[in-house]
Amino acid sequence: MLLDTGYRPGPTAALRESLYRIRALAGNNTLIRLRDPGQTISYVVMPMVLMLVLKPLYVRAVEGGTTKVVTGLLVMFSVFAISIAGNAILAERTWKTWDRLRVSRAPAAELLIGKTLPIYVVMIAQQSILLVYGCLVIGLPVPGNVPLVLGSILVWAFTLLAIGALLAAIVRSHGELSVIADVGALTLSSLGGALVPLSLMPEWAQVAAQLSPGYWALKMLQAAVVGDTAGTMLPAAILLGIALVCGVFAIRRLTRGWGRGGLL
Amino acid sequence: MLHAIDLVKRYGPVLALDGFSLSVAAGEIVGLVGHNGAGKTTFVEIVSYLIRQDAGHVTIDGRPPSASRGRVGVAPQHIALYPSVTVREHLNLFGKLAGLRRAALDGAIEELTVALRLGSFIDRRTAGLSGGQQRRVQAATALIHRPGLLLLDEPTAGADLETREAMLDVVKQRAGDGAAIVYTTHYLPELVELQATIAVARSGKIIARGTYDELVDGLPGEVRLIHDNEEEVRVSTTQPAATLIDLLGRAERPISTIEVHNPSLDDLYRSLAVSDAP
Ligand SMILES: Nc1ncnc2c1ncn2[C@@H]1O[C@H](COP(=O)(O)OP(=O)(O)OP(=O)(O)O)[C@@H](O)[C@H]1O
Ligand SMILES: [Mg+2]
Repeated sequence: MLLDTGYRPGPTAALRESLYRIRALAGNNTLIRLRDPGQTISYVVMPMVLMLVLKPLYVRAVEGGTTKVVTGLLVMFSVFAISIAGNAILAERTWKTWDRLRVSRAPAAELLIGKTLPIYVVMIAQQSILLVYGCLVIGLPVPGNVPLVLGSILVWAFTLLAIGALLAAIVRSHGELSVIADVGALTLSSLGGALVPLSLMPEWAQVAAQLSPGYWALKMLQAAVVGDTAGTMLPAAILLGIALVCGVFAIRRLTRGWGRGGLL
Repeated sequence: MLHAIDLVKRYGPVLALDGFSLSVAAGEIVGLVGHNGAGKTTFVEIVSYLIRQDAGHVTIDGRPPSASRGRVGVAPQHIALYPSVTVREHLNLFGKLAGLRRAALDGAIEELTVALRLGSFIDRRTAGLSGGQQRRVQAATALIHRPGLLLLDEPTAGADLETREAMLDVVKQRAGDGAAIVYTTHYLPELVELQATIAVARSGKIIARGTYDELVDGLPGEVRLIHDNEEEVRVSTTQPAATLIDLLGRAERPISTIEVHNPSLDDLYRSLAVSDAP
């Protein structure tokens, strides 16, 4: 039997092969996700419970309380979902499988797409489920401009994915990742107004909020659910900028690999 | 096929490779041996482009490792498998990553399942497998696409007799098909069975390279006689048989025990490698 000598395909064939490899990688990562769904489930169920419990408080405290409780908790728990992305990528490092993939024919870009695509789907599903739940159970007015809402979700999930990949690339253990992801998520999202409406927060916090991606996500989603296209664009652009910076750094770091070092 | 010249790799104060040179021809098995920390795994990592050397050159079929992705099959020293994924799913993944499709993929999986005896656990998740079973799965994922260069880093570590035989058979067969193979091990008899070229690494360098006969020839063996169950004679010699005959001819008292110890790879290893190990 012939040995693999690594022929070079033409451009169309190369694209087809690339897609074939990405599908294989994404399939494998989907399996891994499906076999360990606990974290995902809890990040969907917890905000559902909290929305029910906190709704009366919000409605009494601020105008548009229903919208704020749904979008606020959605943003908060989608930020928690960063750790799903982070853990998934970090696990490849602790299992040492990342290096096995790096010696395969798939270039780093394919590895990352194959790795993150299923997580992207999970994040989009999480946010969509929470929005639908918000409409059906909490009483969020059904958004008039569904594509706008969907677009916002896509942008926000992409940002979260990039932040998660970045964290996974710089931490040295799952412990470090949970500290950064959980404490960071709570701080950033509550500072961004996800837990307590911004208008009720002290003035310094309202200013500091603008540093948090959660703040922009909230602004974007709140504009999107009321169909305010113009108001959706600036936050979306800022989020995409953050995603780009985090993503590029993560890709560079993950491409280089760690060899045997880098983990606690 | 594989040429590595004067590789240097430094980790802080540690010189992992210090002028490491090794070539492997197509169809050749090079058994890479050497003490713990000699630099064997570091060499494998550089050839598979997982880490970069500080100095020196590597070519695989004339190309640098960076341009040889996917053409090298690597079974790392440490088990690196997805715990919640089954053996068959692993083979599918690595086969597809190498571009194998349907019939070719199924054929390759079938062949390795038989050759490495994976059948009884092929649909189990790897987390539940024994160490030797995981070892075989790991080798299978490296072999699935029939790469022209195989880097097997201690593929029989922790393996039982049967696993070892299966592994050696597959390695011999792949070399017969024309693959260049780097095979690291601490079990020297395996290299005799593989009829491998032996390369001895010490402190980041290759200090000896040759066939078993070439390397062992000229090493001293030992002849040991015991007269009347009490007086012991030990003679160190490069020609044990001739020395034995000579001793027997000169013996004046009855001999109760005769032992002839031919020089072995272990002696070679001891004389070259371990004696000066850091
Ligand atoms: N990532 C790293 N960081 C620091 N030192 C390293 C690293 N990788 C290897 N070394 C050092 O380089 C030297 C060579 O290690 P290597 O793993 O190549 O040895 P080896 O011959 O494979 O040993 P063994 O038989 O134990 O597997 C060792 O001293 C090791 O500690
Ligand atoms: Mg080693």
